[in-house]
Amino acid sequence: MQTETFYYDDDIVRKFAGVTILWGVVAMLVGVIVALQLASPEFNFGPWLTFGRLRPLHTNAAIFAFAGNAIFTAVYYSSQRLLKTRMFNDALSRAHFWGWQAIIVAAAVTLPLGITQSKEYAELEWPIDLAVVVVWVIFAINFFGTIAKRRERHLYVAIWFYIATIIAIAILYIFNNLALPVFAMKSYSLYAGVQDAFMQWWYGHNAVAFFLTTPFLGLMYYFLPKAAERPVFSYRLSILHFWSLVFIYIWAGPHHLHYTALPEWASTLGMIFSVMLWMPSWGGMINGLLTLRGAWNKVAKEPVLKFLVVGVTFYGMSTFEGPMLSVKSVNSLSHYTDWTIAHVHAGALGWNGFMTFGMLYWLAPRIFQTELYSKKLAETHFWIGTVGILFYIVSMYTAGVTQGLMWRAFDETGRLMYPDFVETVVRLVPLYWVRAFGGTLFLTGMILGAFNLGMTWARRPKKYEVPAQEAAPLPAAYDGPGPQPMFPADAEHTVLSVYYRITYFLRAEWHRVWERRPLKFTIWVAISVSTASLFEIIPTFLIKSNVPTIASVKPYTPLELIGRDIYVGEGCYNCHSQMVRPIRMETERYGEYSKPGEFVYDHPFQWGSRRIGPDLHRVGGKYPDLWHVRHMEDPKSTTPRSIMPPYKWMLTDELDFASIQPRVDAMVMLGVPYGDAVNNAETMARDQAQQMASAIEKAGGPAGLQDKKIIALVAYLQRLGTDIKKLPDAKDGKAPVAAVQE
Amino acid sequence: MLNHEYDGIREYDNPIPAWWNWIFLGSFVFSVFYFVHYHMGNGVSVKDAYAVEMEAIEKVRAEEALAAAKNVSEEKLAGLMADPAAVAAGEAKFKTVCVACHGQKGEGLIGPNLTDAYWLHGDGSLMAIRDVVINGVVEKGMVAWGKTMPPDELNKVVAYVGTLRGKNEPGKEPQGEKHEVATN
Repeated sequence: MQTETFYYDDDIVRKFAGVTILWGVVAMLVGVIVALQLASPEFNFGPWLTFGRLRPLHTNAAIFAFAGNAIFTAVYYSSQRLLKTRMFNDALSRAHFWGWQAIIVAAAVTLPLGITQSKEYAELEWPIDLAVVVVWVIFAINFFGTIAKRRERHLYVAIWFYIATIIAIAILYIFNNLALPVFAMKSYSLYAGVQDAFMQWWYGHNAVAFFLTTPFLGLMYYFLPKAAERPVFSYRLSILHFWSLVFIYIWAGPHHLHYTALPEWASTLGMIFSVMLWMPSWGGMINGLLTLRGAWNKVAKEPVLKFLVVGVTFYGMSTFEGPMLSVKSVNSLSHYTDWTIAHVHAGALGWNGFMTFGMLYWLAPRIFQTELYSKKLAETHFWIGTVGILFYIVSMYTAGVTQGLMWRAFDETGRLMYPDFVETVVRLVPLYWVRAFGGTLFLTGMILGAFNLGMTWARRPKKYEVPAQEAAPLPAAYDGPGPQPMFPADAEHTVLSVYYRITYFLRAEWHRVWERRPLKFTIWVAISVSTASLFEIIPTFLIKSNVPTIASVKPYTPLELIGRDIYVGEGCYNCHSQMVRPIRMETERYGEYSKPGEFVYDHPFQWGSRRIGPDLHRVGGKYPDLWHVRHMEDPKSTTPRSIMPPYKWMLTDELDFASIQPRVDAMVMLGVPYGDAVNNAETMARDQAQQMASAIEKAGGPAGLQDKKIIALVAYLQRLGTDIKKLPDAKDGKAPVAAVQE
Repeated sequence: MLNHEYDGIREYDNPIPAWWNWIFLGSFVFSVFYFVHYHMGNGVSVKDAYAVEMEAIEKVRAEEALAAAKNVSEEKLAGLMADPAAVAAGEAKFKTVCVACHGQKGEGLIGPNLTDAYWLHGDGSLMAIRDVVINGVVEKGMVAWGKTMPPDELNKVVAYVGTLRGKNEPGKEPQGEKHEVATN
């Protein structure tokens, strides 16, 4: 048959590989800085470089800049070869590359400025979100266009995983980020409270699934057999674990919200689907590790394989730990502690990091068309990185379990053994130093890698060779062997037909048909992902009993609303939860547990996911206003051993009263019943600020706070969790259960 | 070995390990039973389990409060004031949790001065102080320490506060009503 000549576009691969290295260094450097900020608050440089603002920068840089560009490197290199064609359109490839880098730069600028939606890993504000969607669509068109002009009839398993990534991320990103813009760089989530939390963790969990897992499995399925020069262990297992992963993962999101105000049925679904996810995840690990059968001698010699093997092993560890942490009783100990931090870093450093490094070291000689600068240095990178991960995760497991146990410790009189939250924090500080050390080791490895790969690049030929590829075009219609018929010609019995159906299904030949029909394949992926989502989303939004209304819960006053926006902008949610769980140790420490109806005006929700400081849902009225003023000015003045950074400028920065009315108007559009404030939000805010400031001055505090940011922030904090105490038959600050469930 | 290859990558069609199949199946069976048990059967929900636990604890608390009330009086607290070890223990606790609002010497800061003769809540007697420490003045930000401090320790703190009375440390201006109390 006539063959065609074509060329791979490796220039785009070099571009993506280069920025992967660059952003890797940046992401990990910011990681080390935030680690130091927890070890010692002196490393906070307000207002732009505090933990609350840098932590989102670290997570976004690690996920979207480092891992994101690594994914694109893998996709652009492997898809062209697996589909035997150049990428669909070179201009789209470049638009994808530059668009994505521009988004990263925009994130790096806006996050330290406190411009954030405050939803984890979805912090970027609406204009940047729109840019993400545009770039993602460009990527999708380019990718599916490449599939359309392929010269390989069947899609290899790596391509399946790429398809799942593109489809699922599009769905997740769009629906979680739906928001009403208030200003050019400020929006309010369309969802509130329980529903917002549900959407966020549906997204947050599946960002891990479809941004940090499926594309990396695709990467593994290409680069591991290539590097090991061994066939993949089991095609059948690929099929089974791919579809079970895609279908089951989506359900598991609510395990991030155990014991919260989320309805318990959703929490249970999140848990059991996480348990069922264990084997589908391990299917990928087995297929990776067993592919190395007969190649283990190579692992001893090749740093590339070492990285890939340890990466896959960490994947196996994390995907066992994930289901374990999703079991409710385990979660009651681990949630809000550093155990979660250990878990995600085993995944991020071990799996995403090491798979990326393995890929880069394998790619470097091929895309730069020269020998790797130093294999020995790559080996050193591997060992420093591994030791770094171990220091990191061991210290964080210890910190997590320690703090979890301290929170729940009761003495013989039935009182909390450590009623002062700060005691449980001080205990962790030595471990925070160890973590910072481990992170620094990992960063050092990354820098060695950057040097090694940079030197390899420096030795590139003057002009890259672009070898011509030869392949036959695909005939319009498939003319190869089809699946064997489901029924042998002589089968007539119904009993037998069931048997034949089952064996036909298990033979997986039907799947071979799907693999040559990308459209059908993609539609089924989309159906798997959306069906699972809708099963949980529809009831969460439609069943009224999920969020019983509480009569005394009213919208925030205009002053409290802007105070809340300050809270959001400072990223307070990165260290403080607002969710008291119905567990004895929680209610003893914080007060009545949080009810779903208390959050109906919270656009966005602020439940948080980690308690580096105490929960704040019941902080309203717990301390006098002056306490808060002093505490924000210098946390050590009220809590001597606190590791919270000071927010001195809150006492001097002017409050932007003029921006309050538009904020209230936006809330009204979202259905928040604002009453009088619809017309005179600013006056109301000024009145409340004046009253509070006078009282603070009278109590011996600084004068003239009525037009400063601090007053709005304190107003918000003092309102938190207090509405429920205003119910007519509330006693001792406890809400009558009947009223809550009316 | 399957008869296809992609960019040189070939695939075996090894059977899926049996243990994989069985654990996968087991996780399904577990999940069905779990859901049915907790949402259709007799499983106790998180909130019910919490309510049961708290009910038991409230009972213990009530008994404890009753016993403690019998055991304490103005005289007994005054006795503690005379015990240097008890006062030292009370002072240590005072320095960790009370100073943030009442100042290092009890001279008042966010909260009132404890060293003058003016009292906002009660008459400055040891029993009145104890009452405020146990129940707090929640609307003004005074924490109800009875929930977190064991009665013995709490009494020692009260004894220490008793020793501060009449020291008239310069600090926050007097608040409340004047009650002269016999000081040490």
